[in-house]
Order: sequence, then structure tokens, then C-alpha cells
Amino acid sequence: MINRNLILGAVAGAVLAATAGPVSAAGYPEKDITFIVPYKPGGGSDAQARRLQAGLEKNLGVKIRIVYKTGGGGAVGFNELHRSKGDGYTISNVVVPNIIVSAQGKDVGYKPSDFSYIGMTEKSVGALAVKKDSKFKTLEEIVAYAKKNPGKLTVAGVGSTGHSNYAELVKALGITATYVPISGGVGKMLPFIMGGHVDCGILAAAHGVKHKAKVTVLGLAGTKQSAALSAPTMESRGFKGFTMETTWGIMAPPGTPADRIAILNAALHKTTADSSVKNAQLKNGLIPMVQTPAEAKQYVADTTGAVDRRNNLLKALLKK
Amino acid sequence: MIEGFMQALQPSYMLWLTVGVMIGMVVGTLPGLTATMGTALLVPFTFALQPGEGVAMLGGLYVCAMFSDAIPACLVNTPGTPAAMATAFDGHPMVLQGRGQEAIVGACVSSAIGTLFGAGCYLLLAFPMIQIALKFGPPEFFWLGVFALTIIGSLAGDSILKGLAGGGIGLLISSVGISHGNEIARFTFGVPDLRGGVSLVAGLIGVFAVPQVLSMIMQLRKKEFIAEYKPKSGETLKTVKKVLAHPLHVVRSAVIGSFIGILPGAGSPIAALVSYSEAVRWSKDKSQFGKGDLRGVTASEIANNAAAPAAMIPLVTLGVPGSSPAAVIAGALMLRGLNPGPELFQTDGTLVYSFGWSLLFAGIVTFILGSLFAPYLVRIISIPLRLLAPLIMLLAVIGAYAIRNNIFDVYIMLGIGVFVFLIKRLGFHPGPIGLGLILGPIIEPSLVQAMYIADATSVWNVFFTGTVNIILIALSVLSIAFIVWTQRVERVQKRASASAKDQLADAADTVE
Repeated sequence: MINRNLILGAVAGAVLAATAGPVSAAGYPEKDITFIVPYKPGGGSDAQARRLQAGLEKNLGVKIRIVYKTGGGGAVGFNELHRSKGDGYTISNVVVPNIIVSAQGKDVGYKPSDFSYIGMTEKSVGALAVKKDSKFKTLEEIVAYAKKNPGKLTVAGVGSTGHSNYAELVKALGITATYVPISGGVGKMLPFIMGGHVDCGILAAAHGVKHKAKVTVLGLAGTKQSAALSAPTMESRGFKGFTMETTWGIMAPPGTPADRIAILNAALHKTTADSSVKNAQLKNGLIPMVQTPAEAKQYVADTTGAVDRRNNLLKALLKK
Repeated sequence: MIEGFMQALQPSYMLWLTVGVMIGMVVGTLPGLTATMGTALLVPFTFALQPGEGVAMLGGLYVCAMFSDAIPACLVNTPGTPAAMATAFDGHPMVLQGRGQEAIVGACVSSAIGTLFGAGCYLLLAFPMIQIALKFGPPEFFWLGVFALTIIGSLAGDSILKGLAGGGIGLLISSVGISHGNEIARFTFGVPDLRGGVSLVAGLIGVFAVPQVLSMIMQLRKKEFIAEYKPKSGETLKTVKKVLAHPLHVVRSAVIGSFIGILPGAGSPIAALVSYSEAVRWSKDKSQFGKGDLRGVTASEIANNAAAPAAMIPLVTLGVPGSSPAAVIAGALMLRGLNPGPELFQTDGTLVYSFGWSLLFAGIVTFILGSLFAPYLVRIISIPLRLLAPLIMLLAVIGAYAIRNNIFDVYIMLGIGVFVFLIKRLGFHPGPIGLGLILGPIIEPSLVQAMYIADATSVWNVFFTGTVNIILIALSVLSIAFIVWTQRVERVQKRASASAKDQLADAADTVE
């Protein structure tokens, strides 16, 4: 299976290879790099890996072999990376806050702070979405309904990460609602929103962009207006405190030498600076990011604080 | 649509489609290499092609894998992908009776018919059908799962009680890992690898392949081959006629397959199982099901193939893939800057239709290649058991490993395999266990989600109102009543025939 990937990767690489010189130093990299995708083929992480694959191959001068290691909400793949040799020849996706949530309060074999982060490449803020022909046309309408009918509004989210995002959302909007956990990702949630089985759903703005023919985003998390969506930020409508964000990046096993991380980081920057990668990100409603390894590590540490805060909100909500 | 038809007919499209079909043949035949894995591995290769050619190749792979998974199911009682589980129920007994060629050709014809029907739905009925599919929310999926569970009645073998217990065992195995909703670790015994749950594919390989290999070893002294096989000429045409001799059965299987295929999350395995169960229910002569009835093979294969093109319907009408291979195909389109969804009809309408036609042609190509290869494929059973058993074991191990690249899945596969082998000797049938494994991941999350939704209204409101719910509940109740009724009739008949024999004996006595 790995060999098959190698062959297919080689074919794709040969087709897409260009002439720019690879960034290498001190004999690294001199063989193929394995890229672990800890989520199913066809998902967001797979898309990210595929977007970066050609550019990384060009800029590193070696093949990138994509290998899927799925299960446990990403934990199986992250754990595999954690056990891999820190020589720069095995890397993986990282999704924040998922990696933090996956390791919380349980022994999954790794701590998010263990890894050698290479850099985050893109992010998407949280969004509250309804179906296209929903009776709710604005954020204010949905808030008014939930206030008038406490507990009647059904809000879908993905798994336990979704539940703590939900806790933050209802606090920001000042409403009482009912949470519906969806397992298996946003792809499973969308038909339930479209079919009216739940009133609304918490997803990433990127999903709102991709599915704008069928769902409408009523409000966005964070403080910045999205270029790809007409929806307002919740903050601009006076609902403060919804900070949900999903970030994708790449990382290496703990203890990978800093000079190799630097080479990977440089290749990553060259890749994401390419207009085709940038356009693909923007088209999918993602916000491109450029980080140094140190910034990426700090970013994960900062997000851990935000996740803790949301979890406390959730605990308070469940106690009520 | 005509433009799409012309595009799909171009030689380059047909060429790549055929390449996809041939790869699909290999992927489906090897247990553990699923259509999802096959399409994912092929995606980088499509970058070199036109987007339409690329999806034609991926679609061809998907469609053909839904046929070729029947090959190991029939020949060695090990489904090549979860979708072929129901095919094995009758396909393998057919092979044991020396009707291997008929089973494979029958599966091939059925796959072609199913694909044509599913692709026809995609081309003509995509929008009306998706409106019905959207009526399926968590409670509807729950009841669909419960209805599918009643299939145990048709495949339990001698004892309903053992069938139910087997289904329970399957459901329990599927519940290992992080729970839905509240995310608590269940039955993990502190083993981190169990948090991710038991992989369905590895589990099914364990349930079917390992006991098969072990019983082959047990029979080594008695049997040299799985079964006798002599290639017969004219078998293809005869089998095609035999399949088409039951038009109602064919249409019913195709409708069930297309409809279940369209439901995001249900997919080909459930389509095949429901179709099989309905075939048993609606047939006048049920005595041969499970013992080598060709209709069992056709019911399963028509439905799992019809479900493959149908799984593309939610992709192009809603932007949501209907199955895992459909998700990979969606990913391949997105990498080319195409956004699968309703807008695609406006921006790249030709592509949407040429894809539909390609799926349809894939059915035809699959039929041609499949029926050509069938006599050679069946020769597999002429391999001596002492060579075949280790070969299957090797493929089982590779398959269980490849699905998630995890050696732990191999241990689980072996453990489940030995367990099923042992309880098989106690009279348990592996079918219900596999059924539980497949249905658990549908029933449990939808039950949990529906219970959460019920917090906003009431349990009664969520589970027992709504047309779809009521239809599914009624079907489940009827299905159970039907099982109880047939059991009783059989018992009465047995008693009657027994007492008739007694009377005859008495009569004979008096005459003497």
C-alpha cells in the first residue's frame, strides 16, 4: 500500500514537477517523506495534504507519500507520528483545536506540546448556519426565537469539540437551546440541516462558503469580516465571546532537529506562497497563514487556554 | 445531457474508464482493499487527466469494485468489501455445489443491471429523489437500522435465538471505542488502540475469512479443493436469462439499492442487506435461500451496485457525498477547483452528466470484463486447500492492516476470527454478527442524536411521528410478525408431517 502510494505519488509528481530548485542542506532531505493524514480520505485534512503535496515535493526535491491513519478523532494518527522517528522523514497534518481536545483528560500516548510544529497553513472561523429556506433570515431572528422558546432551538455540532463550541455560542448569544452531537464530521451534519432535522449547526466558515447553495451562514465567530461570505460577525451585532476557530498545519515527531524543521518550514512557505495554493485556500473560504515553527508552537499553547475556557463554560452549562 | 453523453463516449474517456474498471476489479477482489482506499490511491493519478476523464476512472473503479467484491464472497466465503456480505450467503453455497461460474456471472449481470439503474436515477431523477432522502433525519436512520436488524430472521439459520445473540454480539463489538455524543471510552480495557473502535473492514474479515480458513484446515484430510469446477460453455447466456426470469425481483432490488444508496451514511452494505432480506420475504419458494439460491446473489449485487451511482446523487444535488468513495471523488474534484454541489450543474453541467453516463458505461464495461474473466476466476477454487488456506490468511492479514495502516487491527481481526470459528461450531451463523457490526455504527449515533433532539420536543414526537418513521416502524413490526408466523407454520408443518408419518406407520402396522 505504501509502495502503491509511492508509484502513484511518483506519477503525480512527474506530471506536476517544475523547475524551481529544492531547499535542502546538509544532506536533508535525501529520501521520500511520509505524510500521515489522521482523518479519512476526502476530508479537510486530506484536502490540505493534497493541496500542499505537489509544492512540497517541488521545493524539497523528494516525494511526499500520503498515508492514512484514521481513528479516535485523529488520536490514532497523531499517536503514530509521536512514535515515529524524529528525523524529518515522517510528518503529519495537525488540526487545532482537535489535537488538544483529543488528548484532554485521557492517555492517548502524546501531549500536544510534545510535537515539533512546522507551521500552520490556514484557518477558518466558526459559523452558525441554517438551511437556505429557513424561517430564520438573520442572527437576531434566531436569537429572538430561542429567547421566546427556551430549549426549543436545536443546534448541531461535531462531537465533543462541537459541544464546547456550543457552550461558548449560547453564552455569547445569551440563549438556552438544545445541543445535538453529530459523529462523523460536518459532512454528516449538512443533510440534517438541509432537511430541517436540526434548526441550525455550528461549522467552519469554509463549509459555509463551499455549501452556500444550500446553507446560509447567519453569523461568524471572531472579529474579522470574511471576504467570501456576506454574513456579519456576531461581535459586530453585539454578541461577544464566540471565538471558535479551526486551524490546519503540519508537524513532525517530538525531537526532530531544528535545522530539519527549518528546511521543512521554508519549503512550506514557498509552497503556500504559490498563487495556485493561495487561490485554492481562498476559494474554499480558508484564511491563509504563515508561521515560524516557534509561532506555531505558541499558537497551540494559546489555543489550549481557549479550549480550557470553553470546557469550563460547558461544565457550567451542564451543571445548570 | 446529450453533450455529456457525447463527452463520455470519447475514446479517451472510455479508455480511462476501462482502466478504472480493471483496477476496481483487483481492489474489490482483495478483502481489505475497499473502494474508498482504491479511489484514494488513484486520486493523484487523475491530476494528469481532464477532470471528466479523472472522475470517469474513479467512478469506474467504484462501480467495478462493487461487482468484484462478490468474487471472494462467492468463492471463499469472504466478502471483498463490506457490501458483498449478503452475496456470500447464497454465492458460496452455489460454489460448493459446483455452480461457481453461474454465481460469478450472475453477480456480474446483476452488478451491471444495478449500475444501469442507479446511473439512470442519477441522470434522470436526481432532484426528486434527493427530496425524499432529505426527509431522513436521526430518528429515521434509527428506524432504518432497526428494520435492517430484522433481517436476522432471514439469515439466522436454524435458531432465531442464536441469530439474535449473534446480532447482539456484532452490535456489542461495534460499540467498542469512544461513545457517540458524550465521548466516553467503552470496552477499551485501558488499551489506547481500542479507543478508535474496531475497524468494520477488519472485523468483517475476522468474522468471515478466518473461520473459513480454520475450517479449511480442519477439512484438509477430507477435502482437497473447495469444490469441483468444470467450465461450461454457454453458461453466461443461460445465467443472464435466469437472472432476467424474475423481473419483479430485479426491479425491487434495484429500487431498494438506489434509494438506500442515496441516503448519506447508509451506503452499499445496508442496501445489499435490505435487498436480500426483501428478496427472501417476497419469494414464494424460500427454502433455497442461504443454500445456494441465485436470487440471493442477484438481490445483493443489484442493490450494492445500484447504490454506487446513487451515492453520487447527494454529491451533485447537495454537495454532500453519499458514501466514502463518493467523498474521495468529491475531494478529487475540489483539488481541480471544481466545487461539487448544485452549482456544478450551472458551471460545469456537461461534467455532471458525462460523469453519469460514465458510471452507466462502467456498468457495461464491468459486465463485459467480468463475464469474460469469470471462468478463469472460478479456477481459484481448484487451488488445493493446503495452498489456498494460507493464501486467504495472507490476504486477510494484509487487508486488515491496510485499511487503517494499523497492526492492532490485525490482532483484532484474528481474535474475532477465532471467536467466530468457535461459536460457529455451536451453531451460530456469522451473518448476524456481521450484520451487527455493519448496523451498529448507523443505529447508535442516530439513536443518540435523536434522543438529544427529543430534549427540545418529546421522545414521542421525534420517534413516532412523521411519515417516514411510521412507514419504517410498520415495516419492522410486519417483518418481525412475518418471522414469528413462518416459524410457527414451519413448526406446525413439521409436527403435521411427523404425525402423518406416525399414522402411516400405524396404518402399516394394522395392515400387517
